[in-house]
Amino acid sequence: MYSDKKPSMEDTWRPAELKRHIGGERPGGENVRRRNDNERKPRGGESVERRRRDPEKESRRERDEQKERGSTKERRHDEGKDVYAKPKEDSRDRRSDKVRDRRDERDKERRKERDRPVDDLRKRDREDKHERDRDKERHRDKEKDRVRDRERQDGEERDKRKEERDKERRREERDKDRSRVEQDREHRSEREKRRHEESGDGGRDRVEKYDREQRERHRGRERPKDEREKERHGDRKHAEQKGEREHREEHKRHKEDRERRHKERGHDDQRQKHDAESRQHRDSKRPGEEKRHHRGDREQQQQQEREKQKERRHREEDDVEKKHRERRRREEEEDDDDDDARRIHKERSTSKKETSEKSQRHDTNTEKTEDVNDEDLADQEYEDDFEKVDYEEDFEDIDPSEGEDEKEPEFPQVEEGEEKDELTTQKRKEIEAIQRAMNEENERVGTGQSGHGTKRGEEDAPKLSKGSERNQSQASQRGRFIDFVAAKQREVSKKVATKQKKRSTELLRLIDLDFSMTASLLDLPPVNEYDMYIRTFGNANTKQAYVQCNEDNADRDIQTEEIEVCEKWTQHPPEYSGSCGDPNLSQEARDKNMNEINFDSQRLAAFLHSASQVMVVLLEENQAERKSLRKLRNQTDALSFSDGSAQLNTQLSFLYGRHISLVHFSQVQSHTMMSVHTPTTTPSAVRLDSCTIICIWNIWEPSRPQRILVYESEVQCCCFSPGKATLVFAGTSVGSVVLWDLREHAANHYCLKIGQDEWTFRQPTFSTDAVMASSGHLSSVSSVEVVPSTAAGGLRPEIPLLASEEESSGLSFQLASLDETGVLNFWVVVELPKASEAGSLTDLGLRPGGKVKLLHSSTLHTAERVSSRDAVKIGALQSLHLKFLPSDSNHFFIGTNMGLVRHGTSHSLKVPPKFYRFQEAGLRPVDVSSIHFSPFRPNLFLVGCGDGCIRLHVVSREQPVAEWSHSTAGERVVSLQWAQTRPTVFCVLDAGSNLHIWDLLKNDTKPVITERISADRVTAITVFGDSGKQNTYSGIALVHESGSIEMHYFTRDFTVSSCVEEEKLESMMTEAL
Amino acid sequence: MEASDSYLIRPHHQHKFKPAIVKECIREIVRERLSGVQYDPDQVPELSRSLADCIKDKVKNAGFDRYKLVVQVVIGEQRGQGVKMSSRCFWDADTDNYAEDIFMNESLFCLAAVFGSYYY
Repeated sequence: MYSDKKPSMEDTWRPAELKRHIGGERPGGENVRRRNDNERKPRGGESVERRRRDPEKESRRERDEQKERGSTKERRHDEGKDVYAKPKEDSRDRRSDKVRDRRDERDKERRKERDRPVDDLRKRDREDKHERDRDKERHRDKEKDRVRDRERQDGEERDKRKEERDKERRREERDKDRSRVEQDREHRSEREKRRHEESGDGGRDRVEKYDREQRERHRGRERPKDEREKERHGDRKHAEQKGEREHREEHKRHKEDRERRHKERGHDDQRQKHDAESRQHRDSKRPGEEKRHHRGDREQQQQQEREKQKERRHREEDDVEKKHRERRRREEEEDDDDDDARRIHKERSTSKKETSEKSQRHDTNTEKTEDVNDEDLADQEYEDDFEKVDYEEDFEDIDPSEGEDEKEPEFPQVEEGEEKDELTTQKRKEIEAIQRAMNEENERVGTGQSGHGTKRGEEDAPKLSKGSERNQSQASQRGRFIDFVAAKQREVSKKVATKQKKRSTELLRLIDLDFSMTASLLDLPPVNEYDMYIRTFGNANTKQAYVQCNEDNADRDIQTEEIEVCEKWTQHPPEYSGSCGDPNLSQEARDKNMNEINFDSQRLAAFLHSASQVMVVLLEENQAERKSLRKLRNQTDALSFSDGSAQLNTQLSFLYGRHISLVHFSQVQSHTMMSVHTPTTTPSAVRLDSCTIICIWNIWEPSRPQRILVYESEVQCCCFSPGKATLVFAGTSVGSVVLWDLREHAANHYCLKIGQDEWTFRQPTFSTDAVMASSGHLSSVSSVEVVPSTAAGGLRPEIPLLASEEESSGLSFQLASLDETGVLNFWVVVELPKASEAGSLTDLGLRPGGKVKLLHSSTLHTAERVSSRDAVKIGALQSLHLKFLPSDSNHFFIGTNMGLVRHGTSHSLKVPPKFYRFQEAGLRPVDVSSIHFSPFRPNLFLVGCGDGCIRLHVVSREQPVAEWSHSTAGERVVSLQWAQTRPTVFCVLDAGSNLHIWDLLKNDTKPVITERISADRVTAITVFGDSGKQNTYSGIALVHESGSIEMHYFTRDFTVSSCVEEEKLESMMTEAL
Repeated sequence: MEASDSYLIRPHHQHKFKPAIVKECIREIVRERLSGVQYDPDQVPELSRSLADCIKDKVKNAGFDRYKLVVQVVIGEQRGQGVKMSSRCFWDADTDNYAEDIFMNESLFCLAAVFGSYYY
């Protein structure tokens, strides 16, 4: 029925339609297959489990209809448990399975190739069978036998494969089995019986179907090997069953020997289905289609056969449920025509049961067991496939397809050898058929390669088309090798990928991946402008310096105002042009200013100088008048000639105890007087005891001396400079000539403070001490005299004139000094233009800062001359006194100790008289104590002698004009002087302190007034007076023994002169001549 | 042979990827190859490729077993521009590491980075 339907349907279809039909249906199956593939790929715990489950599901799909879900669930659980619980077993089993599987695969391929022609044959047979069935089933038995043989072959083939799979492990067992094969054949009946029992057991088992199947499956999972299952069966039944099983196996082997090819074919189809499926799936679709197509046909055949067998078996067993299932299956079969391999497999078994009713019982038994085994095996195959894939992937190097190709030749030989041993007639037939088919195939390959497209078009019959398609598929398998290589590569890559995925999934559990950190590989900052510039334009190793333009435009502020600077100068003490100045002023202005200053200062100084003098004098006069008035009143009685007197203040500490040896008035400055105080022996507070002190007085200022001069030794004589009394000359007892410059500043001299007053003691400005020893005096200097100016020429010099000359000539005059030996030295007084504070190297006698010095001019030895001529008469004359003729400086007069006055000239012819003698002839050893020329008649002079004799001489006569021998009563004339205001009056002081005043006009024989001063002896006198018109005064200074100096003014009688007096003198001179 | 379930998830200490050594390798090669080289846009692709290969070979010989190497060489012209490069890796920081070195001369800069990823 069903078998009729199906072929008819197929028959009615044209090949193209059929192809289309299959192609249309295929996607579903393909999907399933793909799913299987996909599910197969994953590895690792869960995925493996899932993968295993899925094929089981598929296999269970049929079973589930008859079995309870719970059992499957349990089984699933068990499976999962087993997978995890027995990894070792798995691995071991896997290893064996792998080997087995590989072998199986090889077998499959080989058989497939072999079976194809057989399939063709079978198909043809099947069609024939259909025809026969339709007509009459007369060939039924034969066909059935064939089919049965085939089935048997299938079963044996399965067993054989099983054994081959287990060959390595079970080789020994198999050998044993083989040895028993003959025995087993003999005991076939017995085995059949047992088989029957077994089937009965099986029926029992079927009654207890759930439990048993569950257990079986369970065990099958636990021991996925067939032999184990068998063993299990054996174990489960009895010890005898082992023998039965052996018998069965032997029987199987027998069958296997006989029906190998058929079995191979049948079983191989199953096998090949997996392989082909995967391969087809991997390869191009066309071969897959074709394969599937003809496989489907084959399956149909096999299904029919198996259905027959199963029917047979079931019928024998009378299992109701099974029939139901079979029916259902049949119905399903219509729907799921080309569905799953698993399904087909089952259906095949069911359809076999239906169709093959005539099959032998033990055949069915074997078939049944084989079927059962087959089912398990199929499951196992699936599992093995998966595992195989696993292992193959683990072993990358092993290419399964290559292995197939390589090992293909090996097995066929072996199997063929086996085949030859047990060739049967049926097999020969089959071989013949196969050979035929191979021939056809070869022919078709030859044509197909040339152009199968046209061939395909020509082939109308489904047979041919099937054959051609199969050939094509074979050709594609063999001829188109490249496709497979690519496929293999893809497979390999896929395997690798899956393997890696598995690795990764496993490893990912063990390791932690993280974004560890973001590593900055390169951070190159942009180059700044400067570096860029330098890189572009600059030189290497140079540094560019920026220059800012307009930099000098910066503002600069100064907050402080500029300091005004003005240059001024000042000087103290003021010199030259003033004490202060301003260089900025113009020269004119400055000069004018300076002139004004100078003028003013000079005028002021001059005014002050004069005014001070005046004032001092006035004050002094007032004071002196009061004193003198009082004294005059006291002394009026005593001194008849005195009109009044004043006393110089000599009561000074440094003058205490000193005698006054000399007093002298300046000829020009009549009010200036000097007094020479001899050294004292009495010690005093002042350290000037051994020194001679010379005081310069202004008679109008009697209170104190103007200057105080100091010299270390005794001063014998002294004189003022001509003109103004600025210089003081002195001759000393040690033979030196010294001079003082009164103009020197007081600061340059030693200043001594005595009491409350300061006194300046002036050292000599110039001294000839030891400096001019060769040209100086060797004995004490008896007299120094200023040589009168020769210009006057015998005329009386005018004082103002002299002063003016002096001023103009600058102190240029001669000085003569005479010592006791008669040596007369002439000195030139020179005033230096500028004083040197440092002193002079050449002028060693000059005091530092001094401006006046003495130059030795000439020396005269007056005494020698005298002695040379008058040596016999006079002897050695001692020079005592020196006077120059005021009108002619060439003539000098020297008083001697013999009463003679020598007359000589310094640088001209001798002029008579040589000596001035007494009136009486002869020499008297008396000293000439004093010589004084008349201020009014220069050729008249008085000579006072030591014996009291006074003579009046005229220069031109040797004999005196008049001679007064006893006027002094024999007393030695100490000093005699003409009065300054009256020509005929002169004063004489004798040693007896008697002062005689002569007036020749009144009495030319005896003094007019003789005053005896006994209270305080007068040791020296000097006459002073001024013959000026407006203020004529005259007086005499008396030096007392006590050291006091009294100034007496003459009365009017002795002051005012008259013209009669000079006539009197003329008359007297003429009288004497 | 069948691989067992045990994995070598950590490299042996002496085979561990050592950035210092790798950096030296990079430095040597780059210095040798690039010193005095002027930037030439035509040659730089080939240059960088060859550099990367060279570095890879050298680092391979350095004995980092089971390490997968990624060598990245970037050569750019040096014209004063700013360059910033960074990398981020999703890896196992215990085993994996990287080394990089920078070479610069007047006309170019070169960055060579070697990433070593342990293959378990």
